[in-house]
Amino acid sequence: MFSSSRLTKVLSMRPGVWFVLRFVLLIPLSGCGKKAEDGSGALHRPAVVIAIPGDVDSFNPLFAEDITAGEINDLLFPALVSSGFDANAGTLTYGPLLARSWEFADQDRDIVFHLQRGERWTDGAPVTARDVQLTYELYGDPDVASVRQAAVENLRRTGGKLVIKESVEVRDDSTVVFHFARAYPGQLFDTGLPILPAHVLEKLPRKDIRTDPVNRSPVGSGPFALAKWTPLQEIVLQSNPESRAPYPAKLSQLILRIIPDYRTRLSQLESGEVDLVSGVRPEDAVKLAGEARDVEIISTPGRDYDFLGWNNIEIDPPGGSTPTTIRPHRLFGSRNVRRALTMAINRDELVHAYLGKHGQEAFGGISPLFKWAYNDSLKPLPFDPQGSRELLEREGWKDTGGDGILVRNNVRFSFVLKLPAGDQLRTVVAAAVQQQLRQVKIEMKIEQVERATFWQEVATRKYDAWLAGFSVPLQMQLDDLWGSDLAKHPFNLTGFRNARIDRILAAARTLKAETDGAALWREFQEIVHEEQPCTFLYWINSIVAVNRRVQGTRIGVLGTMHNAWEWDVGGAGRDGVSTSR
Amino acid sequence: MTLVKFLTRRVLHAIPMIFGLVTLVFFLSRLLPGDPASLYVVPGIPPRVAEQLRSQFGLDHSLWDQYLAWLSSTLRGELGYSFAHGAPVRDVLLHVFPNTLLLGGTALVLECLLAVVLAALAVRSVGSWFDRALSRMTLVVYSLPSFWVGILFLSIFSFSFRVLPSSQMHSAGGEQLGLAASFGDLLKHLALPALTVATPGIAALAAYLRTSMTETMRQDYVVAAVGMGLSRGRVFRSYILPNSVGPVISVLGVEAGVLLTGVLVSETLFAWPGMGRLAVMAIFSRDYPVILGCTLSGGVLIVGANILADFLRAWIDPRIRLT
Repeated sequence: MFSSSRLTKVLSMRPGVWFVLRFVLLIPLSGCGKKAEDGSGALHRPAVVIAIPGDVDSFNPLFAEDITAGEINDLLFPALVSSGFDANAGTLTYGPLLARSWEFADQDRDIVFHLQRGERWTDGAPVTARDVQLTYELYGDPDVASVRQAAVENLRRTGGKLVIKESVEVRDDSTVVFHFARAYPGQLFDTGLPILPAHVLEKLPRKDIRTDPVNRSPVGSGPFALAKWTPLQEIVLQSNPESRAPYPAKLSQLILRIIPDYRTRLSQLESGEVDLVSGVRPEDAVKLAGEARDVEIISTPGRDYDFLGWNNIEIDPPGGSTPTTIRPHRLFGSRNVRRALTMAINRDELVHAYLGKHGQEAFGGISPLFKWAYNDSLKPLPFDPQGSRELLEREGWKDTGGDGILVRNNVRFSFVLKLPAGDQLRTVVAAAVQQQLRQVKIEMKIEQVERATFWQEVATRKYDAWLAGFSVPLQMQLDDLWGSDLAKHPFNLTGFRNARIDRILAAARTLKAETDGAALWREFQEIVHEEQPCTFLYWINSIVAVNRRVQGTRIGVLGTMHNAWEWDVGGAGRDGVSTSR
Repeated sequence: MTLVKFLTRRVLHAIPMIFGLVTLVFFLSRLLPGDPASLYVVPGIPPRVAEQLRSQFGLDHSLWDQYLAWLSSTLRGELGYSFAHGAPVRDVLLHVFPNTLLLGGTALVLECLLAVVLAALAVRSVGSWFDRALSRMTLVVYSLPSFWVGILFLSIFSFSFRVLPSSQMHSAGGEQLGLAASFGDLLKHLALPALTVATPGIAALAAYLRTSMTETMRQDYVVAAVGMGLSRGRVFRSYILPNSVGPVISVLGVEAGVLLTGVLVSETLFAWPGMGRLAVMAIFSRDYPVILGCTLSGGVLIVGANILADFLRAWIDPRIRLT
């Protein structure tokens, strides 16, 4: 008889089991409904909450590569100098932070920094010049494998060898001297890296620092300290009352909630669960501006541009890092063909259709932000399909195949445009470009590639054409993107090589003041505009949506959180309360 | 066969299976283009950094050496070292594994409870409109992709009516809540992800249970119990349900795999900080040791669930021998 089974006994012995089941089933939902109705689920929120798409990769500036991690680390580990951006001049400015003052010496090759007095690490140890010296030792040590190694490259060498203990000299506990090989525009920029605690890191084997638990519970000296990190969930920063670089944060807490889904981030901003969302898409910025009265949209002309990359060259062996033979690409090797491609694409229409006021047509590789270097006498090539067809015909591309596609020497003008998967804007732009190129009898197929694979393959020149974006650095250092030595500059993705550009890049490195290179950079843009190594599409504004209760933000070119210690909360202040659902 | 013998035998069978699985994933994951170091090949970072990282991560050794190093680390219980998290994979998994268990466990409980309720309502009057609707809807609901179900729930409960949170495990500032409020906050956050994972399973189990219950209701001992004047509730609890769940428990073992897949989707959709989300991130960042750690944990969970299902079935129905 089955009734003897054990489950039967269990069920039979508990006649109220259905009541319990009903209780368990209904509790969560009924509880939620009630809270939503009467607002009793109000959570105490003493802070500003920022929604971010992903977790940080490290709380150690030696290793942190992603932008958010960089911004957080800047708040935990202040640099010697703080950066600002003069929007009128389009140049970087510097102010005191961990250093209270500095002066140039030895024909401007040295910078003598005087540190703030009384500054302490969160474990109570004093911040000294030795911290600065060890920090730069670590940045430059190949065993550490820091992503910021480039910052020590211009320090003075001794006998051809870089000895940081000599090039970053500790004069006394509060004075440190940087000896550079020469005076150059980026000296202060290169001394602007976050400073780390020597007493914590110097006892660790250099190769093991990357994996040491100290990276997950950082000892800093900045206006915020890490209060709590719950991987994949949230990062809680709290004001560091001891900080003098520059001072304890006004907010008691800055909470960064990790919310991977873009729509969810926006939804939580609208509902008031979070206060700030970066990377807002133009169409959503318009919607938020119209519908969300509590939300302010901050659209900063950006440093990011999208472009259609045309592989200018073909190399043997294909994909090799040390090519033996380089020849013009069968489709894109000619300047006239590249100009024809640009003229066939209506870039102005793309900007108006997809970016509106949050973008600007691009043409020369230098952002309009850098007013001193931007060549505003140049104009983008016109959208001119007829002119494009004529240029192509002059280059020998004719519709002789009978299928409506141009042919030259039995080669059809047909190629695949690759783009990183999952990018909504680039997907629609690629489709529009496809249609427009078809009008000049060029066949373009579109293929989306997983992001990591895309960058791996585009950097090894496996693609004929691609749609991607770059962010230009705050310092006018464009060697990585435009230098002709392809082995040294792997991000010259198009393989565009130009001797005059190389001379301009070299000359710009030797100037004392960055703005002295204005004429050089204007010429640079003329060459790029003439040669069209790629088709620049648009500069994209950086759009941030922030709740109006957050005050004191200076969101702009330098990022979102760069002055977070100045932020405050209007009205309710630090002890504000908000309703959570 | 005794319980100990049964468990020993099943575990011994499972070991080579799981070993084969992780070995396969180890070599397959290396077929992905690029590696963790290539993610650092970006403008502004000297290209030599990628080479230094390959050396630090041991990626410059032969694949075989890397495999042996991973095996050795796994035998030490560390499960390798995460490139992206800078910590032993064991520690990384320990952060998220309980969250996945909570989500998966809650979904399983929801599946079972709601399936029993639906099946019971259906067999209460076989052939009724509800019974017919359930039979037709189960296949449809079971076929719905989890991500679609999740988006639907999000759209209704989070974005339209705003009654349930759309992501994470707790509200911002949740640590300041008292124990009861904190638990309520957790339940609110758990509701949608758990329902998303459970929905296809509810449909499948309800269909199985309904069929099983209908057959049980035709048995002589049920007819006799009704004839003896026992209440409908008593007959259901004491005779119908216990004798209908046996076959369903076997299905539950298989369902564990489906459940884990649902958890993976749900965690990504609702930003639930669990193993599924970790695995997705690890794949994109080529964090091979974490991929392997997640595979190993998932494999152990599925095999464990199957062993548990077999054991439970035999425990409930003593006629079944543990073989």
